[in-house]
Amino acid sequence: MKKYAGRLIIIAACIVVAVYYLLPTWRDYDLRKHLSSLTGDDSLQYVAKHETEIRDARARRIKLGLDLQGGMRVVLEVNVLKLIEDLAKNKDEVFNQIMKEVRAEARTSEESPVLLLRRKFEARQIRMSRYYRNLRDTNDDIFKFLDDESTKAIDRGMEIVRNRVDQYGVSEPSIQKLGGTRIIVELPGVNKETEVRQLLQGTALLEFKLLKEPEVTYRIAESIDKLLASTAKTDTTLADSLFAGTTATDTARGDSAKADTAKIATPEGELSQEEFARKHPFFSIAIYNEQFKGEFLVAEDNKDRVRRILDRDDVQKLIPNDMEFLWSAKTQTFGEKGQEKKFFRLYPVKKTAELTGGVIVNAKWQIDPNYNRPIVTMEMNNEGSREWARITGANINKRIAIVLDNSVFSAPNVISKITGGHSQIEGMESEAEAKLLEIVLKAGALPAPVDIIEQRSVGPSLGEDSIRAGIMSAGIAIGLTILFMAIYYHTGGAVADFALMFTVIFLLAVLAAFGGTLTMPGIAGIILTLAVAVDANVLIYERIREETAGGKTPRAAVDAGYSKAFTAIFDSNLTTLLTGVILYQFGTGPVQGFALTLMIGIVVSLFSAIIITRVVFDMMIDRSGIAVNFG
Amino acid sequence: MRFFGKTSIDFMGKRYIWYAVSATVIAAGMLSLIVKGVNYGIDFLGGTEIVVRFQNNVDVGDIRTAMDKAGFTKAEIKTFGSDRDILIRTPEQGEGTVVGDRIRGGLQAQFPTNPFVVQKEDKIGPKIGAELRRDAIYAVLASLGAILLYLGFRFKFLWAAGAVTALFHDVLLTLGLVSIFDGLIPHLNLEFNQTMVAAFLTLVGLSNNDTVVIFDRIRENQKLFKSMDLVALINKSVNEVLSRTIITSGTVFVVLGVLLVFGGEVTRGFAFASLVGIVTGTYSSIYIASALVVEVVTRTKTQGKLID
Repeated sequence: MKKYAGRLIIIAACIVVAVYYLLPTWRDYDLRKHLSSLTGDDSLQYVAKHETEIRDARARRIKLGLDLQGGMRVVLEVNVLKLIEDLAKNKDEVFNQIMKEVRAEARTSEESPVLLLRRKFEARQIRMSRYYRNLRDTNDDIFKFLDDESTKAIDRGMEIVRNRVDQYGVSEPSIQKLGGTRIIVELPGVNKETEVRQLLQGTALLEFKLLKEPEVTYRIAESIDKLLASTAKTDTTLADSLFAGTTATDTARGDSAKADTAKIATPEGELSQEEFARKHPFFSIAIYNEQFKGEFLVAEDNKDRVRRILDRDDVQKLIPNDMEFLWSAKTQTFGEKGQEKKFFRLYPVKKTAELTGGVIVNAKWQIDPNYNRPIVTMEMNNEGSREWARITGANINKRIAIVLDNSVFSAPNVISKITGGHSQIEGMESEAEAKLLEIVLKAGALPAPVDIIEQRSVGPSLGEDSIRAGIMSAGIAIGLTILFMAIYYHTGGAVADFALMFTVIFLLAVLAAFGGTLTMPGIAGIILTLAVAVDANVLIYERIREETAGGKTPRAAVDAGYSKAFTAIFDSNLTTLLTGVILYQFGTGPVQGFALTLMIGIVVSLFSAIIITRVVFDMMIDRSGIAVNFG
Repeated sequence: MRFFGKTSIDFMGKRYIWYAVSATVIAAGMLSLIVKGVNYGIDFLGGTEIVVRFQNNVDVGDIRTAMDKAGFTKAEIKTFGSDRDILIRTPEQGEGTVVGDRIRGGLQAQFPTNPFVVQKEDKIGPKIGAELRRDAIYAVLASLGAILLYLGFRFKFLWAAGAVTALFHDVLLTLGLVSIFDGLIPHLNLEFNQTMVAAFLTLVGLSNNDTVVIFDRIRENQKLFKSMDLVALINKSVNEVLSRTIITSGTVFVVLGVLLVFGGEVTRGFAFASLVGIVTGTYSSIYIASALVVEVVTRTKTQGKLID
């Protein structure tokens, strides 16, 4: 007995540790099964009573991948380019050209955009201080500054994304940094794609911007209109776009300007629609709102056209430097029944924000009792309140646009000076949207915009199907293997089956201990591991059979079998292990799950196949003194 | 229980027949690769892929019509496991959920009485697609490199070269069969995605495993029977480990077969490629890895020792 004591203790210790790590998984399954059998108050009471236990078991059980439990995976990339661009001052043609080149290069390059930018500057022998910080700063200083800023932006971005996800209320979300500029967000059990995109992607940059005076706006619009009318004849694409917009004009006017639908009243007399469109290409698609002065109405299908017009170089020249056009976040429907049309509002605003969302300390969504619609109310800090009072006091009877991520939510008219730092956002379509807005406002603005570069979602039923298929095939595969081994190798086979059982337990325990994730390919990895695990025993047993046939005693045959088969077992498993490591390194998500189970499986299967079976045989031979039956 | 007693099959003697078989299958596969190509998955292509489950069976032709109407003329459409599960994939990139919304809208319009639920939706940006492609290539090269290094360290160059040739043979042959069988049998989608890359790496591992076991036995016998002719030595060694080869490969084969039939759509391609891999991996240890050494040794009249 003594000579196995050491090995037996090791094996027993392994089993105890394995059970310790597997218990939470089993407990979690048990609790959940119990919970699903309860309904209503009973289940609430049960959760309250066992709260810590449930949470504890959940935290330490084997995690299931998104492909098995359903949910969403989103990869966000912090747009460092935009950040660099926003940080620059005195931007000119040269700078824009450089940014354009950097942007093109960044699309394929692995290097950080900051480094690419520096290289472009150095290639042209332009000092970076022309656009960044102080003129005295060296390129090194500015490089470091930009690099720091982008690192900060990513860290802060991650923190904010985490805040938002936490407040959104997902159980067990996972938020990880990937490489330099990416954030992976995994949300188990979540399937509301649009909501998640809104939650994660919006920078939540809140700004309060003054609308330009209506007279100024009108004058600029007039000059744009004239310019377009004079170039329309030569510009076919524009002419095209203009006529397509005429019908929309009609309905909007019918509501807002209350004009005759067939004839349009203008200072030059009544014109037919076509004539009006030809003479006033801009006003025909961007309708000056007589009711709310200082804004335009643009039919949904004309939005792109107006955007293109405003982007034209010659049009840009007519727009003052301190002015920009912003779109409303939502459309509004105008027109008589059966002829309704959706319109966007276009607001000419002052480029520089009067106040930004940094001053917001709290936000809360609620239903506006007067209009029975969702709104989000905001509170500002002291400094913000003072500023807000000053701004509103100085701009009575003017309109201030409340802008979130460059979309205008509302543009109320200031009636009186607002003290106390309160403001509100209107124009949400649903309570869910108002709730999301509350979350993003509370979590703060992202320092740089993020792009969603990968998004995967798995519905819960597909996950359930996969689990069922995985368990079924694993069950059948294990059953067949166990049956075959016991028949073919008799007692030896039964011992190998015993070891196989431990392989599975150890594998799952290691997975739980390291917080690994079980995925569908991971289950395939387990199934494959079992087959490979059997191989070690097959090699040993075949050898023992050969040695026995050669006339060795049972003890000597077992010894020779184990020692001679070892090199082959070791060599062959090492290469598979190497492949697993490489796959883990290069793969993502589910495939990493496969590599993980494969690697763990190889190690634990060698332990069970070589150490556990050996002890059993040694003990059997010592006790009975007769040969173990290897079939 | 025993499947065979002591065997003494002349494996090496029949090697020319098997060369022809290998060459034919690989040639057919290459032809299919050129004509038909491989069916890249969303991971590597980028774009939007959506799997929906309808309440009742639908006709793929009707889905095609719906997608044409929705403006996705280039969309790929196939069944995903059953006749009511449909996979739609389009390389088109769109802002936000636009592409997915248009697909869903198109389906709703076409099948107003047959509601569906979205089972799975993947949207891969062009940058990610390119990166996943690059990572897959790195993974394959890195593992081949690691195995080559290991074999070079463990065996003499000629034998290591034989083993690596066998691996290339297995990869080529499996790649060809994946191309040939894709879409040939209903519900067998052999799309080339990340899981398929995992399958190829696994089959490289398994094939190498088998080769190493045979080489290990040849090495052992070389020490015992110093004057034995190489062909006889290989035949003897292969015969000695034949039982193990059949049992191990057989077990893996059955297990993968179970996975292929019962494992569901996600792992089907993986199971298929590994299944082909285990067969060719077992066979190539004898008729590619060992046979190559025999060819070189008989032509150059060298000794062909596995180790010094």
